[in-house]
Amino acid sequence: MGTHTQRISSLLEKIKAEDKGVGAFIELYEKEALARAQELDSGREPGRLEGKAIAIKNNIARKGKRLTCGSKMLERYTAPYDAAVVERIEAEGGIIIGSVNLDEFACGSDTTSSAIMRTKNPLDHDYVPGGSSGGSAASVAAGFADIALGSDTGGSIRCPASFCGVVGMKPTYGLVPRYGLSDMAMSLDQIGPLARNVADAKLMLSVIAGSDERDQTTSSSPKAVDLTFKGKPSIAIPKEFLEGADERIASCFHSLVEKLRGEGYKVSEISIPELEHAIPIYYLTVFAEFSSAMQKYDGLRYGEILEEGVSELRGDRFGLEVKRRVLLGTFITTKEYQDAWYGKTLKARAVLKKAVDTALSKHDLLLGPTMGVLPWKIGEKMSNPLEMYLADILTVPANLAGIPAGSVPFGKVGKFRPGMQVLGGRYSDAKVFALMEEIERLDAWKS
Amino acid sequence: MEVMIGLEIHVQLNTDAKLFCTCKTDYGSAQPNSNICPICAGQPGGKPMAVNGRAIRNALKIAAMVGAKPELEKPVFVQRKHYFYPDLPSGYQRTSKPLAKSGRFNGIGIWEVHFEEDPGRYELKEGFVDYNRSGIPLAEIVTAPDMRSPQDARDFLGKLEHYLRYFDLIKDEVGNMRADSNVSINGGARVEIKNINSFSNVFDALSFEIKRQQTQVEQGMPIVQETRHFDENSGITVRMRKKETADDYRYVPDPDIPPVMISKEEWHDVEKEVAELPDARAERLAEQYKINKDDASVLVIEKEFADAYESAVGKFEAQRFANWMRGPLRRQLNYQNLSFRKSGLTAERISELYGLFSSGSITDKASDQILIKMLGDVKTKPSEIAKSSGLMKSADSAALKDACMKAVKENEKAVSDFKAGNQKSLFFLVGKVMQETKGTFDAKEIAETLKGIIG
Repeated sequence: MGTHTQRISSLLEKIKAEDKGVGAFIELYEKEALARAQELDSGREPGRLEGKAIAIKNNIARKGKRLTCGSKMLERYTAPYDAAVVERIEAEGGIIIGSVNLDEFACGSDTTSSAIMRTKNPLDHDYVPGGSSGGSAASVAAGFADIALGSDTGGSIRCPASFCGVVGMKPTYGLVPRYGLSDMAMSLDQIGPLARNVADAKLMLSVIAGSDERDQTTSSSPKAVDLTFKGKPSIAIPKEFLEGADERIASCFHSLVEKLRGEGYKVSEISIPELEHAIPIYYLTVFAEFSSAMQKYDGLRYGEILEEGVSELRGDRFGLEVKRRVLLGTFITTKEYQDAWYGKTLKARAVLKKAVDTALSKHDLLLGPTMGVLPWKIGEKMSNPLEMYLADILTVPANLAGIPAGSVPFGKVGKFRPGMQVLGGRYSDAKVFALMEEIERLDAWKS
Repeated sequence: MEVMIGLEIHVQLNTDAKLFCTCKTDYGSAQPNSNICPICAGQPGGKPMAVNGRAIRNALKIAAMVGAKPELEKPVFVQRKHYFYPDLPSGYQRTSKPLAKSGRFNGIGIWEVHFEEDPGRYELKEGFVDYNRSGIPLAEIVTAPDMRSPQDARDFLGKLEHYLRYFDLIKDEVGNMRADSNVSINGGARVEIKNINSFSNVFDALSFEIKRQQTQVEQGMPIVQETRHFDENSGITVRMRKKETADDYRYVPDPDIPPVMISKEEWHDVEKEVAELPDARAERLAEQYKINKDDASVLVIEKEFADAYESAVGKFEAQRFANWMRGPLRRQLNYQNLSFRKSGLTAERISELYGLFSSGSITDKASDQILIKMLGDVKTKPSEIAKSSGLMKSADSAALKDACMKAVKENEKAVSDFKAGNQKSLFFLVGKVMQETKGTFDAKEIAETLKGIIG
């Protein structure tokens, strides 16, 4: 047995034995992964990802495999094609070992809205893994996969990365083609990597980044991306990033800032008052775009067709959070209310984006904690959706501004390893990675 | 009674690829659901590709043709129009904001022209959906309510269809032109008749609807604002829904599609390409070449047809050449249901053929036969076809006489009928000889020879 085959089969065994406790995988692509490993062992198609075991969030299309999006609506749907990122991973010798769990249609921050299964935090099984890419973070944290793909609309990569103590990167909007990624909010969605170290995340981004004619929002991106960066970027901390943050997380953050200053980094404190409005702007944008994206699920096309009408079927097959978002989104895009709600949202988003861009024109990078809160217990889920939405306050600005943002663990709170978030200007993904590498290097708690 | 009619006309634009993907636009003859991909079938994760440039170009030509003007260098957004229907795979239709506004065509005001995607085809009775049509580019032309009768609408649509075909802007397929009609009488409520699936049905639908509204008023019943459907089989309109529950399509800009920009250069080129409209060209042809107006109006049936005439006419007598193009040439095309542009014929080739005929080297009969061959063989020169098929006019009077003798011998009844004064029998005999000699002799010459033999 060749080395790749050996490693992949032992990983598959490990998953089969241990994933019952974690609940990361919706489906294991056992046969295909082993065949792929054998192919690589026979010397065919080496590449930059050669032999890496990769898990993909189950809202990314893999030809011939179930694409559930964590929803009852798509429980039996099989994707007829490969996502652009899947093609790129395969072309570089990556081995896709399976699909992992997520919040239903990526709506949520703890993966509990999945209609398929429950995913637990590998650091403590009583706790949520974060979300919506909870399966991606858990599969990497548990050592099941080397790298996982997630999608990030308002923090869905960075939140679970922070909760599970791994690295997560949301690239610049338009850098990675979304062809094959099921829509949540089209103007915010971006595919990105989660990994156990910055180097792997960077490697994966270098493979999946670059324009593709099947996603027009990538049209201004280069064909290939160079992620090397040399030098010492200047850093700013918007004070709004620390308002309301858990003290234990804040203290990890302050010790990081001290260390960075000790390394000779220039760290300034600034204020971006517009960030205060990020949550309403974000959620109204999501509601509007999401309600449009969900239009196709009318019960006529996917899965078993019931006798009832469209509304009964949508009532039955969509989960609570999805229904809430569809209803609110439909409301704010009706003729009567569109100007008052969606129209204003678009204007406010432009103002917020300008404020973030201005800050990033004066400083190379922004820094703060990724999440203001620590993972919560499964079942303890905040029953108030507004409270749940507020948990995203630190991650949504990057999506609204279309800028890159990465999360890297620093420090320790009990069993958890809170993430620190680095944000840069559009297409400064290399610079963001450079500081993430520094933080990783300075993190005394890393295993 | 004052009638006000406005139309929203949908035409399928003539492109090889769909509006947002590279699938073929063939849906008439293709196997159902064979020209589809994750994009036009609206599969989860599918995203639109760049807007088909040829579709935009054709839509712009239509705009220029009806005198509407675009806002240059300004973004034109593509929007999502949401509604649920089995033929709509994403639950929304992508439709652009106006590409051009404020035109006038055939005396009727044009409000705007925009482009959008066609939904799939839903067979209600069988519960079957064919997505081959999904994503085919459409242009929508919205008129002012300037038409005063169904006949006005018919005239308008007739001219529009002619012009669209002249410039080759629309697809050659059943269902390529559809219309929604808005009609009101005496300033009453506006009634919309949706999805009339051919231009000829528009006249029938409007005629019925006006009579219905009239009767309604005469009986003292109010006309309500509503949407009606035209039933082709019974020729009547039936209520679909009242307007109080107004449709709300929740139009939002599509985040996946960067807006389209029309540059000054592109618009300039478009205006140049449609600078001379068919009617104006017919007038010019009649005047410039001193040909009948009637013939000129047949020449402008297709742009390429008129182009061919103009590029070859210098070598011939203009009226006769026009007669030939309108007559024998057009007839052969019609027989085979071909447009000139798709026939493989070129100005050069028809000019060579007509040259052979007009110089007397081939008979009219032979020219028809060569033409038929040319429609299947776009390479061989007409003169070579004539020679290899033995269709060059023969001067061999002995051969002619032999053929005539044979015809007379084999058709005794016709000969005696002719002798008894039946002229038609002579034509019959001429036909026999023509067959025998493969059209290498003139009918007139044959008739003379026959008469000589019969005495």
